[in-house]
Amino acid sequence: MVNLTIDDKQVTAPKNATIYEAAKANGIKIPILCHDKKLKPFGACRMCLVEVEQMKGRQIPACTTPATEGMIIRTSTPEIVKARKMVLELLLLNHPIDCPVCDKGGDCDLQNLTYEYKVDANRFVDEKFHLDIDYANPLIERDMNRCVLCGKCARICDEIVSFGAYTFINRGIETKMGCEFDEALNCEFCGSCVSVCPVGSLLARPFKFKARWWALTKQKSVCSYCGTGCNLTLGVKDNKVLTTVYDENQGFHNGQLCCRGRFGYQFINSDKRLTAPLVRKNGVLVETGWDEALEIVVGRLKGGIAVAALATPRMTNEELVLFKRLMETVGSPNYDHSAGYAHAALTKGFARSFGTSASPSTILDIQKSDLLLVIKTDAYETHPVVGFEINLAVKNRGVKLNLLSDKRGKLSKLPGAKTLVHTPGSEIAVINAIAKSILDAKLADGSAVAVPGYADLEQALAGFTPEAVAAQSGLSAAQIKELAADYAQAEKALIIFPIGLAYAGHDSEFASAVANLAILTGKLGREGCGVLCMAEKNNSQGAVDMGFYAPLGGMDAGRIIDGCASGAVKTLFIAGENPAVSYPDHARVQAALYKVECLIVSDLFLTETAAQADVVLPACSFAEKEGTFTSVDRRVQYFKPAIRKIGQSRSDFEIFAALIARLGGQAPASPAAAFAEITAATPAYTGMSYASLGEQGAFAAVTVKPALIAPQAPAPAGAPGKLALVVGSALYHNGTMSQHGEGPMYVCPEGYVELSRGDAARLGIADNDLLTVASATGSVKLKAKVSLRMPEGVLFTPYHFGATPVNQVWSGAAVTWVTLDK
Amino acid sequence: MNPITPIINGLKITLAHLFKKPVTLQYPDERPKVAERFRGLHALKVSHSKAKCVACYLCPTVCPAKCITVEAGEDASHDKFAARYEIDMLRCIFCGYCVEACPVDALKMTGEFELANYRREDFIYTKERLLEKK
Ligand code: SF4
Ligand code: SF4
Ligand code: SF4
Ligand code: SF4
Ligand code: SF4
Ligand code: FES
Repeated sequence: MVNLTIDDKQVTAPKNATIYEAAKANGIKIPILCHDKKLKPFGACRMCLVEVEQMKGRQIPACTTPATEGMIIRTSTPEIVKARKMVLELLLLNHPIDCPVCDKGGDCDLQNLTYEYKVDANRFVDEKFHLDIDYANPLIERDMNRCVLCGKCARICDEIVSFGAYTFINRGIETKMGCEFDEALNCEFCGSCVSVCPVGSLLARPFKFKARWWALTKQKSVCSYCGTGCNLTLGVKDNKVLTTVYDENQGFHNGQLCCRGRFGYQFINSDKRLTAPLVRKNGVLVETGWDEALEIVVGRLKGGIAVAALATPRMTNEELVLFKRLMETVGSPNYDHSAGYAHAALTKGFARSFGTSASPSTILDIQKSDLLLVIKTDAYETHPVVGFEINLAVKNRGVKLNLLSDKRGKLSKLPGAKTLVHTPGSEIAVINAIAKSILDAKLADGSAVAVPGYADLEQALAGFTPEAVAAQSGLSAAQIKELAADYAQAEKALIIFPIGLAYAGHDSEFASAVANLAILTGKLGREGCGVLCMAEKNNSQGAVDMGFYAPLGGMDAGRIIDGCASGAVKTLFIAGENPAVSYPDHARVQAALYKVECLIVSDLFLTETAAQADVVLPACSFAEKEGTFTSVDRRVQYFKPAIRKIGQSRSDFEIFAALIARLGGQAPASPAAAFAEITAATPAYTGMSYASLGEQGAFAAVTVKPALIAPQAPAPAGAPGKLALVVGSALYHNGTMSQHGEGPMYVCPEGYVELSRGDAARLGIADNDLLTVASATGSVKLKAKVSLRMPEGVLFTPYHFGATPVNQVWSGAAVTWVTLDK
Repeated sequence: MNPITPIINGLKITLAHLFKKPVTLQYPDERPKVAERFRGLHALKVSHSKAKCVACYLCPTVCPAKCITVEAGEDASHDKFAARYEIDMLRCIFCGYCVEACPVDALKMTGEFELANYRREDFIYTKERLLEKK
């Protein structure tokens, strides 16, 4: 701590604080324009000038100058005010001052400072800028005439997003902010630059001219796309969510969002939303009232074990327990989510390896670790804001990054990142080989021998010598040993991997193999250590915590699908899932949906699945209801409705409660009451309530009882002359819902197949060629995308698109062998 | 004072007025002369055959009666214009704040005061009705 005097007030500040931070912490306001708490000090604008007595009253920038012991600082002497006014006058000199038509008006730092410092005239004269404005970009409008050259956009894009889209171009008065070769912006569209721009130079185009900032009601909420659990603020006017509003103090991520979170909100007020219940009459779906629809559903639900349910893990915890209660009232143990396999890493793998079906670590551990082992570079695409945390850890804290993946990716480009690219499907063998090297090199922690299963594991790993695995995985034994040593010898190390519908290979065996590494090396139960399993959807972890997966004796999703086809399941209630697109093996799913006697779907949209239903119930989005979501790192977060329900839609909570009541059961009266029941029944949630969760949320408790499990590695497969297709997530999408978000669809409107340059040259394929991808299961036409990151012989395709259903070729195997034809 | 004096004084004034120009206006046969700064019906000023209004939303923000509705649109040259501009004259209190707030001097109040109408809808003045008549 250092002691200093600011404006005659004795204050103390942390040792590494700047003058600005010291003042802020003590409630003294110093104006800033180019400084941002998330970014490194830059000192470009001189708005924050202060006088330091020891420096003979010289004016120095507060945002870059460290506070030192005994400093006597003045923040607003007449000279300083004069200097700040001049700074503003100079900034306004070339600025167009078109506030009336600038969407930043009301929330603009330049406007606010000009008002505060009463700069109503300019002593200087010069021409205004006449730079071209980029209207063509569908998401970010760039008007560099308004730019104050604070550099925040370039800095955030570099420091946090690690993309580096912008840089200063030219010198002196000609300086401007631009993209490479002053061309159009083509980036990952996270919108971070838009959120930090202090003026209206960078604006969200989908929100252009929609409303003034002050007319928006700002409702804090939680993102409903991926499991990161980012907090966001919805900007609402006239019952419409018009934009997301940046709040630098929100969440662990300080308001950072990805493309889906920031630009993908349009599904909420989409005109394609279902507004009334639909019932199939004479083969066509016709609108009806809730009473009739619910009566039909109740009649069908009386079928006992011939009833099955599939839920989306996008529903709230409260809705999931209620859905489970509905199935219990019906008397059927047949319910599941995420195709039954996408949660197995948690419900089976972690359950046996850690004695709990949740990740022992949290996202906050990333910054506290010494080494990160990320399995699949896709972790960046599946959970982009976790990706930002990894960027920050590696770039600012010097955390080492090791990647084990079947392709390279953005994370591979971070400074010092080591990427081991293995052949698709060999990850479990490689991880086993790492465990084997740890044991062989005597790098295991002393505590490991005492963990149950140690001897069995040692035996089971005998065949996984780095040399043996090297041959089948395309790595060298030395690489495997080096990674093992790196991981085991790091003081603190954290393993991160994604799971989800597209990551069939990340199953329970895989999860146990990963868990073994942490247990063997004692990297568990300490900060900065452990394993973070990142489930796909916003409430995937909650669905697991609420136990919404097949209980003993119940059918899991796979068996439910087969049961529909065989006639064992007569009524299928699908809440929010779209298996026709997202579950593997299109033909198998279609056969099931076609065969099942009665298909009931509740959804926001008439999805490919809902279109085949007998009864469709219009559900409402997260913005219209209250409840809790649990993020991948067990953070339970409460959110409130931002708008009234669209049309006649009802929340799934209301739908299930009405059905339970009609079936003669008892349902909790409100989500709050349901949550009280959850906290009473779920030990990890004990003591929580909506009030105590507040804006920060709270971590569900986790107790780890480690056990070493010998994981089965699939036998190496191969098919001569064929290419290995791996399915995954695209950065801009999450599940199938992001197809209704404008932002994601502007940037990535359709499916594609990514292939290496070598394969492209060999097969004579160029970018955007329409290819027929064929497997034993079927074929699909996809556009080609030639990229540097793919190894030869490996193809990648995202699975989100209904128009190009990848599940026509993909039957749920970790690796699909395909041929490509033009 | 003699009690009759005030009465006589009063009658004097009355008598004097008998020979002055009458104040009463024979409306509607006679029209009043409206003062320059009278605050009557609004008009949207026109320049280069377009409304000057840039849909900045300042007038609906300042309006104490909340009777102005603006919806912005983007024209072919990407400029902001009022795709919808409406004033509900039943709620307007003719305070003139809207005129004062306008940063581009796009709004004025005219001498027009004959705003009576038969149907409620007719009191909603749309952009077309508000455009300044030259
Ligand atoms: S949107 Fe994101 S990636 Fe694109 S330039 Fe802005 S900060 Fe960089
Ligand atoms: S565009 Fe905005 S954030 Fe970037 S330098 Fe200019 S004013 Fe700063
Ligand atoms: S999609 Fe995931 S990473 Fe992106 S904003 Fe939402 S929660 Fe955050
Ligand atoms: S005159 Fe006053 S009340 Fe009438 S529209 Fe203008 S601001 Fe509103
Ligand atoms: S204040 Fe002027 S420019 Fe702004 S909306 Fe009203 S009339 Fe139009
Ligand atoms: S805020 Fe300190 S120089 Fe810009």
